Amino acid sequence: MDPNEIKEIKMPEIEFSKIKFPLIGGLLLVLAYLCFYQVEANEEAVILRLGKYSDTVGPGLHPKIPFIDRVYKIKVDYQYKEEFGFRTNNPGVRTNYSQRGYESESWMLTGDLKIAEVHWVVQYKISEPEKYLFKLKNVENTIRDVSESTMRLMIGDRAFKEVLQKERTAIANLSKIHMQKILDSYESGIQVQMVQLQGVVPPAPVADSFNEVNRAKQEEETLVNEANQEYNKKIFTAKGLAQKMINEAEGYYQERTNEADGDAALFEAIFENYKNHKDITRTRLFLEKMESILASVSDKIIIDSNLDGVLPLLNVDRSSEAAK
Amino acid sequence: MKKLFPTFLILFFAILFNGLFIISESEQAVVTQFGKPVGEPIVDAGLKFKIPFIQKVIRFEKRILEWDGAANEIPTKDDKYIFIDTFARWKISDPLTFYKAAKNERNAQSRLDDVIDGIVRDEISNRDMEEIIRSTGRSMETYEDEPTIGNSGARQEIIGNILTNVTLKLADLKMGIEVLDVQLKRIDYNKQVQSKLFNRMISEQNMIAEEYRGQGQGRKQNRLGEQIRDEKQILSEAYMKSQKIRGEADAYAINRYSEAYEQRGKDNKINKDAIEFYEFIKTLDAYEKVFDSSSRLILSTDSDFFKFLK
Repeated sequence: MDPNEIKEIKMPEIEFSKIKFPLIGGLLLVLAYLCFYQVEANEEAVILRLGKYSDTVGPGLHPKIPFIDRVYKIKVDYQYKEEFGFRTNNPGVRTNYSQRGYESESWMLTGDLKIAEVHWVVQYKISEPEKYLFKLKNVENTIRDVSESTMRLMIGDRAFKEVLQKERTAIANLSKIHMQKILDSYESGIQVQMVQLQGVVPPAPVADSFNEVNRAKQEEETLVNEANQEYNKKIFTAKGLAQKMINEAEGYYQERTNEADGDAALFEAIFENYKNHKDITRTRLFLEKMESILASVSDKIIIDSNLDGVLPLLNVDRSSEAAK
Repeated sequence: MKKLFPTFLILFFAILFNGLFIISESEQAVVTQFGKPVGEPIVDAGLKFKIPFIQKVIRFEKRILEWDGAANEIPTKDDKYIFIDTFARWKISDPLTFYKAAKNERNAQSRLDDVIDGIVRDEISNRDMEEIIRSTGRSMETYEDEPTIGNSGARQEIIGNILTNVTLKLADLKMGIEVLDVQLKRIDYNKQVQSKLFNRMISEQNMIAEEYRGQGQGRKQNRLGEQIRDEKQILSEAYMKSQKIRGEADAYAINRYSEAYEQRGKDNKINKDAIEFYEFIKTLDAYEKVFDSSSRLILSTDSDFFKFLK
């Protein structure tokens, strides 16, 4: 390059008075940015002045000394969540979980030396930002480690059956207390809000046999229901039959007593009148009956009482019948 | 002189900035002079000063640090091979000693590996499986009927022993390290034992399933037996009731007939006339029933009916 050319380049002449306002305005903005900071509604800010802790402030606009003060903003109202034994892939209306591949995290030995698969969630808040920032390195990892060891401690002291069923609430509650104790001993500044057991199940390799037990339970109920069905059918029939027998007997009772009453009443009525007219009534009744009997019998033989030998006559009769 | 002034100014600031340093709340430091530590270690945060260019600041973490061991397979006292995964939390308690003994965190981590792994191994191999897994002696409810014998849970005690021994060992080694906590994170069987355990769990569940099925058959048979019993009871009771009713009916009839035919008076004497009359009409009725159109009658003229024929 020709050195003469350089000479020709001149600094553009800027009139200071023209750019005074924009320049000062810009400088003020930079100064404001350096001297103030904004703390959001769910945050707290920890201030270090020359590396030393000086203050913790709440939401709002606050002043600071540029280059001397350092500001750490911490979301104190935010609920953090750690998942164990599974991960949420895709939170939303239809949340998608993955559980495979986390066996080393979720499989744990129970007190009776079996293996249970446990999925759980820990929710926590940062309650003391100064501690959270300056007392413990890598707090999230620590929470995971502590929660895993705590959960295994709880599961390890309970039988498989208890873990699956009735001890679940106790495990969650005691875990929370135990975790908090350890985290406090580390001065973590963490407040454990909740330990929630999402699922405690038999591990996949044995899951089938547990389903088989459930099926067997159903089968048992089915068998009992079948028997009950048969029972009801037979017993209701028997009850009907029993009622029938009793009804028949009651019918017989009615019949028998009514007949007895009727017969008795008839006899009493007749006898009442007979008493006064014995001979004539007897004779009349006898004759009436004989009349009706002899009228109905077609084959009659009348023998004189003086005649002897009735038998031959009978024989004749037999032969005459055979001849018919 | 006028030209020298800016040079001095620059030198002054250079010296000032090299001599001043800030230690943050999460840090502590040792000041060294030609590689040798001088003075007390700095543990408080704030603005500090050192001799520029001659002294150097070596910063260390003041916060509690992680230690995560690798899972080790260790045999228990009752000869079960288990993987034990431990973690610890530690801090640099004396930066000066730490600087002399370990220089940096990485070295310290590997020294901790040796110390903690060894002590965990000693403690675990002296314990039975049940002591390691369980922490109390609470009795558990299992699928087996017999209650499990407790009293041997010692997990917390094991953790306590490990921490005590680690602390003692580190005090011996003079590392400037304090271990705050050691925890057993994971305790697992190896794959072979695990698959055997799964087989055991499966066979146990199969047994339980069969128990339910057997119980189902039993309950069914029992119900069917109840059905037969109840059926017989219902029918026989009905038979008994119906016989009683019939009996009552017959008893009534007997009384009613005899009342009518005996015609007892106030002195409770049977009226012979009535009996005799009853016999008479009943006999007449009987004659009527006995004889019909197919009967043959041979009558003597001696009979009352024919007395007028003579």
